[in-house]
Amino acid sequence: MGKRNIKMVLVFLMAIFLILPGQTAFAEKSIIIGAPLSTAFLYGWDAERGIKLAVEEINAAGGVNVGGKKRPFKVEVIDTRDLEPGVPVSEALLAVEELILEKNADFILGGPIRSEAGLAAMDLLSKYKKISILTTGVLTPAYHARVAKDYDKYKYLFRITGEAKWIAGGEQIPALIEIGKKFNLNSVYIMIQDVAWARAFGGIFAKILAKKGWTVIGKPEIYPTGSTDFSMGLLKARREKAQVVIIAMDMPESSILLKQWYDMKVPALPFGSIIAAAEQPGFWKATEGKGEYTLANVINAGNAPSNATDWTMKFYNAYTKMWGIEPEGYGTSSSYMGVYVLKDAIESAWTLDSDSVAAALEKTDTMGVYGRIKFDPKSHQVMPSLDPNTGAVGSIFQWQAGKRVVVFPKSIAMDEIIRLLTGPK
Amino acid sequence: MDILIEILIYGSIRSITLVLMALGFALVYGTSRVPNFAHGALYIINGFIVWSFLRLLGLDYFFSILLAIIVIGVIGALIYQIILIRVRGIAISEIIASYAIGLAILEGLRWGGFKGMTYTLPTFIQGSIFIVGVPVDLHRIVVLICGAALIGFLWLFTHYTRIGLALRGMAQDERAALMLGIDSDRMAVVAMVFGSMLAGLAAVLLLPLGNIVVESGYNVLILAIAVCIVGGLGSWMGAVLAAFLIGFAQILTEVYLGTHFKTVVALLAIIITLILRPSGLFGRQKELEERV
Repeated sequence: MGKRNIKMVLVFLMAIFLILPGQTAFAEKSIIIGAPLSTAFLYGWDAERGIKLAVEEINAAGGVNVGGKKRPFKVEVIDTRDLEPGVPVSEALLAVEELILEKNADFILGGPIRSEAGLAAMDLLSKYKKISILTTGVLTPAYHARVAKDYDKYKYLFRITGEAKWIAGGEQIPALIEIGKKFNLNSVYIMIQDVAWARAFGGIFAKILAKKGWTVIGKPEIYPTGSTDFSMGLLKARREKAQVVIIAMDMPESSILLKQWYDMKVPALPFGSIIAAAEQPGFWKATEGKGEYTLANVINAGNAPSNATDWTMKFYNAYTKMWGIEPEGYGTSSSYMGVYVLKDAIESAWTLDSDSVAAALEKTDTMGVYGRIKFDPKSHQVMPSLDPNTGAVGSIFQWQAGKRVVVFPKSIAMDEIIRLLTGPK
Repeated sequence: MDILIEILIYGSIRSITLVLMALGFALVYGTSRVPNFAHGALYIINGFIVWSFLRLLGLDYFFSILLAIIVIGVIGALIYQIILIRVRGIAISEIIASYAIGLAILEGLRWGGFKGMTYTLPTFIQGSIFIVGVPVDLHRIVVLICGAALIGFLWLFTHYTRIGLALRGMAQDERAALMLGIDSDRMAVVAMVFGSMLAGLAAVLLLPLGNIVVESGYNVLILAIAVCIVGGLGSWMGAVLAAFLIGFAQILTEVYLGTHFKTVVALLAIIITLILRPSGLFGRQKELEERV
């Protein structure tokens, strides 16, 4: 046997040794996570990346212990397209059903993202008794209210991210009142997208702020999904001397609004409660710095850099390393945590049986990327808080000199709000 | 008074925007009778072509625009020569084929990773001015001027150049034009090239105001169709007037009824036109055909 043949045999044997351990570690069948996501939109692709990062970490650490056997996670993603104009709910429902029937998903994680689609999918998920953890979108309070109202039917459905009522009343309004006191502001104009969550959001905002003594200019201005011109609304804000413009829009065209705000010299602070365009790190370059001082809510800590918990920056850095870009906005840290919470519940239940895993999920109490993760036992909504030690904490940041600086809640703030509210520079 | 001035200024800008979006579609249909349902896709792909030349190849902005408009013209010619010519004259097939091309382009872009909100083009001029107390950014003024200039150019082109007159001849009566020695297929290619370039021109003028997103392709197509139906399919000046009608109707709706009704305006205009005057406001040709 020549030297060359010996070398080839050695390479062959090495290859076998390298492949074998992987095979033996995951000889068991994969646990399939079905992820119905609107992948062409920020809240979809970011969630997909978050889920895949968690799955890779868990699999690399040996997988999930199901009844004493280690099994890997496998992710199946189907594009629901539900964030597109026209809210194609039927397409999202088909995606969910395809994941269950054709991809044999054991669990559903992620979306659908649009509230209308999420609400419509509830019956489908309960029909197939599939555990579903919403990790991105579906901010409408109607979702968890429906779970609480008909618990037996919807007991398999959980939401590990925020909802409009808390985001508006618990985080954003207190933040706004704080800003108002600091900079002497009391007049607000609300611009929202014509979708369920944003309409709920606008209503809550207008009602509470009026009660708090703020001047709410007119009714919330509702824009159809896909709108590309916001000039008349901004002119109204200017004419009526609004000091803050609240924006609730998840469409990419929201960046046009911010450009127009700048170009039309509207002397009011833009404050996005979900403003997809301003959340991404690329926003600064895309708007040539025009969006400086914009405030944006990314719903969960970890979607922008902060030290909410020991895990926050660990996740942030791991994500950046794997994908070559920072977490870009809402839906990232919650999707990542959703996988870990599911893993813990499966290991605790010792089985993949939906009833057992649902019961285990109800007992979840863990410190995650964005604080303490616990579900309300009746509504299955993650319990929010302004303190990461007691609940899931949000994250409001401000664009300052090209960086996303977390400014609220105080418990995780990286710096102060610095804007002198006189409009674009 | 303030509101009236705002309506006048932004109504004009909105109308010119609609004119720019619709002119390419109107030109192709008006001359070759091919309803180019890939119009919105050509608009968006031109945005991405300019973006690629500018950001990836590092070319000069205005050179990128020029090059992209030539490229989009070539794409338009290829679409006609390779696909549309085979179904010419079969209306339903033309619609299906051109829509399928548009769909393939838009979904292909999405599949190719052109998604998100970070694809942007710089504005031609930075800054804003106040017109009677109403703030308007300079790029919108550029859009207004370019749109008006384009309407004038097209009028002169179609009335005083050989190609323009041939295109008008085709639009009026293709058989008669053939008898006079006008090559209808060649003119249809020319129309498609011009239509595509107009879509491209609209893209480079309008996209710097926002960002380049695939979904906009569908919106542009819907608005272009609405403008052309109301104006009268085949009538370029009708399209211009319809754009002003819809543009101002949209602005008035936003101010007095609410912004969420503005999408309805264009669609409602189509329905009302089809009920009351199916040939559109200036669709004389079709009106005559209908009478016959």
